[in-house]
Amino acid sequence: MSEVLADFIRALRSADVRISTSESIDAGRALALVGYDDRTTLRAALSHALAKSQDDKEAFGETFDRFFAFDQFTQNPPSQDPSAEESDSGNEGKKGESGGMPGSGSGGLNGERAGDGAPQDLAGLLASGDQAALQMALAEAARQVNLNRIRLFTQRGMYTRRMMEIMGLDVLNDRIEGAERDGETVKVERMREARDGLREQVRDYVEKQLELFTKNTGRQLREEVLSQVRLSNVDRSDMRFLRIVVRKMAKRLVALHSRRKTVTRRGMLDVRRTIRANTGFDGLLFHTIWKKSKVDRPKVIAVCDVSGSVAQVSQFLLMFLYSVQEVLPEVRSFAFSGQLGEVTDIFKKRDLEKAMVETLREFGGSSTDYGRAFRDLEALAINDLDHSTTVLILGDARSNNGNPRADILKKIHARVKQVIWLNPEGKSLWNTGDSEMRALSPYCDRTVSCSTIKGLERVVSDLLRSAS
Amino acid sequence: MTGTQTGAPKAGAAADIAAIEADFASLGYICNADIATSIFLSQRLEKPVLVEGPPGVGKTELAKATAQMLGKPLIRLQCYAGLDESKALYEWKYGKQLLYTQVLKEKLGDLMEGTKGLKESMTRLHEFDDTFFSEEFLEPRPLLKALWSQEGAVLLIDEIDKSDDEFEAFLLELLSDYQISVPELGTIRAKHTPIVFLTSNNTREIGDALKRRCLHLYIPFPDSELEQRIIATRVPEVQANLRAELVAFVQGLRKLELKKQPAVSETIDWARTLVLLHARELDAELVRRTLNVLLKFQEDIDNVDSDVNALVAQSREASARLVG
Repeated sequence: MSEVLADFIRALRSADVRISTSESIDAGRALALVGYDDRTTLRAALSHALAKSQDDKEAFGETFDRFFAFDQFTQNPPSQDPSAEESDSGNEGKKGESGGMPGSGSGGLNGERAGDGAPQDLAGLLASGDQAALQMALAEAARQVNLNRIRLFTQRGMYTRRMMEIMGLDVLNDRIEGAERDGETVKVERMREARDGLREQVRDYVEKQLELFTKNTGRQLREEVLSQVRLSNVDRSDMRFLRIVVRKMAKRLVALHSRRKTVTRRGMLDVRRTIRANTGFDGLLFHTIWKKSKVDRPKVIAVCDVSGSVAQVSQFLLMFLYSVQEVLPEVRSFAFSGQLGEVTDIFKKRDLEKAMVETLREFGGSSTDYGRAFRDLEALAINDLDHSTTVLILGDARSNNGNPRADILKKIHARVKQVIWLNPEGKSLWNTGDSEMRALSPYCDRTVSCSTIKGLERVVSDLLRSAS
Repeated sequence: MTGTQTGAPKAGAAADIAAIEADFASLGYICNADIATSIFLSQRLEKPVLVEGPPGVGKTELAKATAQMLGKPLIRLQCYAGLDESKALYEWKYGKQLLYTQVLKEKLGDLMEGTKGLKESMTRLHEFDDTFFSEEFLEPRPLLKALWSQEGAVLLIDEIDKSDDEFEAFLLELLSDYQISVPELGTIRAKHTPIVFLTSNNTREIGDALKRRCLHLYIPFPDSELEQRIIATRVPEVQANLRAELVAFVQGLRKLELKKQPAVSETIDWARTLVLLHARELDAELVRRTLNVLLKFQEDIDNVDSDVNALVAQSREASARLVG
C-alpha cells in the first residue's frame, strides 16, 4: 500500500473513523483505479471505501480536506525519476504554496536533490529559490525522521531540528560561517534570512502534521477523564461535551443490545405450527418449526430527584434512557423534588436540553419530600407496574426529615420485577444526617452508588442485559 | 498491495465515471459524480454497494437504473422481519418431490426386481439416492437466481435494515465471495459476479461485518440544482419558473423541524400535482391546498401552515434570481 494512503488512514483513525484492514485494502484498490488526478473522484472513491456511516463521512470530509491540502509533494514519494520533478514543479506553480520564502520562480538545480538522504547543498537550494525541490527535500526529511509518528506537541522542536539537520543545516551553517570569515556581509545576511525562513516553514509543516495525526487524542483523553469524574463536579462548560459522550455510549449500548431478540428453545417442536405449515404437503413433516420465545423489552419507570445537586445526575440518567430508545422503547419518567409528575412526553418530544430545562422549571426547586413523591407515584402509575417493570429511582434519599413512606416503596417492590436505587452520594455518606437509605433499601433489589457517566452506563447496560 | 501506485493512465477512470453519469441521465436517472463513482467502483472492484439515505431519495431507483444501463435483469429481494433462507435462497419443491414419490411407488416393484435380500435392495436404492435432491427439485429464490444467472444480474437487497440480524449474518458469505453453501448440494458459486446493491433506511444500525464487505454510498437529499434537473427530467411539463419556485420551496421545507421531511419522490409528485392544476406560479393558497402531497403527517402540515407565506415569498425570490 502506498505510504500516502497509509498515512491518510492513520489520520482518519485518529479522527475516530474505524477502518479495518480489509477496508484499507479496498481503498488501495480503489486508489489504483482512480489515481490522484481528480480530487473530487479521489475523494468520492475513498469515502465509499473507508467511511461507512454518516458520522464517518463527515469526519472523513474534514480529514480529507486537511490531509490533501498541503500534500502536493508527498504524492510523489522521494527518489523518483526526473519526470516526477517536472510534474511537481507544475503542481507547485498551480497551488503556489510558498511559506514566506525569499525569491520564487522555478529554477533549475535538479542534480542535488533528495533521494539518497545525504545532506545536500541546502545553501544552493535556498539561493535558487526552487520551491519544488525544497518541498521534496522537506518531505524526504519528514519521511526519514518518521514525522508521522509525532504524538506530543513538545516534540515539535525536536522534529523540526532533526528535519533541518537532514536537509543539510550543518553544511549551511558552515557556509554561513565561511562567508562571514570572508566578510561577505550581504551574502551572510541573505543566507541567514533564508535559513530562518526555512526553519519557519519546517516548523509550520511539523505543526500541521501534528494536528493531523493527533487531532483527537486530546479529546479522547478528555472523554475518558470526564466520564469518570463525579457529575456534580463537572464544569458547566464541559456539559455540552458530556452530552456527546453520553450519546456515543448510548449508541454503543444500542448496538450491543439490539441483537438478542428471540431465544430459540432448541429441541422443542412447535407441533401446532408445524402441522399448519405442512398441510400443503399432505401432512408430511417437511418443514419443522421449533418453539421459540420472544424476549420482552423491559419496561422501565425512572423516578428522578431533580433537586439541587442530584439534578445533574438525573439529567444524564434521563438522557441515557432516552438515547437508547431503540432497545428500550417503553420508558416512563417521573421527576420530583416536592411534588412528583410525569415528564415522559416532555422528553419524547423536545430535544433533551430543552426538556431538562422545562422539567427543572416545573418540578425542581422545592425541598425534597420522598414521602410525597412516592404517594404521587402510587397515584399516577401503580396500575402500570407489573412483573416486567423495572423501577429506577435516582436520588440521595434525603427527605428533609419527612417520612419517606417506605411502605409505599414496599408495595411497589412487591409488584414489579426489580427496584434499583441509584444514589449519587458515596456509600459512606448513606444514612448520615437526613438520608433515609436504611429505611428504603430493604425494598430495593439493588442499591448502587453512581455519580459518574461510566457508572450510569453500567447501570443502563445491566438493565438492557437483564431483558429476558 | 505494492502496485497500487502504478503509472498507468488514470484519465480513463474520470472518463468512465462521466460516461456512467451520462448514461444514467439518458435513462432519466439524474445523479451526481459521487453516485456515479460508486457504481464505477463496484463494477471494477466487484464489491457490493450499501446505499443509505433518507427514504425517497432514489436508492432503489439507482439499482433499477443500473440494471437498465447494463442491460441485465434486476433481481429484487425485499427484506422483512422473519425473512429466512428458504425464502431468500432456495426451497425444495416439496410438492413435486411428493408427486414423484407417489408415481414411483408403483414402479418400485419393477426397480427392485431381481434383488435379493435387504442389503442388495438398499444398494439399488442408493443408486437413485440423489435424484430427489438435485437441482431438478430446487426452487431458486432471488439470491440463488442471481448467482445462477447466465448473463450476470443486478441483485437488489432492499431495506436490509428491516431483516433480522441472523439474515444479515447469512448474507456475509454471499457478499464477500459471491458463493453460497447449500447443505444438500455443496457450495454454489456465481457464474457471473452479480452487481449487488443493499439499501437501508437506517432504522437500525447495520453490523460492522456487513459494512466492511461493502462500499458505502450515502445519498443525501439533493441540492437545489440537482433537484431541479431531476424535476426537469421527470416532469418535463412543468415550466422553468415554477420548477425553480417549487424546488426552492421544498428545499426551504427541509430546513424546518418536521416529523418526516419531503423527499425527491414527494417533490416529483407535487410537481405533477401542480401541473395537473395548471398552476403557473406558487401562491400561498395553492400551497396550502396541496401541502398534503408533500407532508405525510397532519402534525407537520399544521406546523408548517404558519410558515407557508414566508416560504412562498422566499422561493419566489430564489426563482427570480435563477431565472432573471
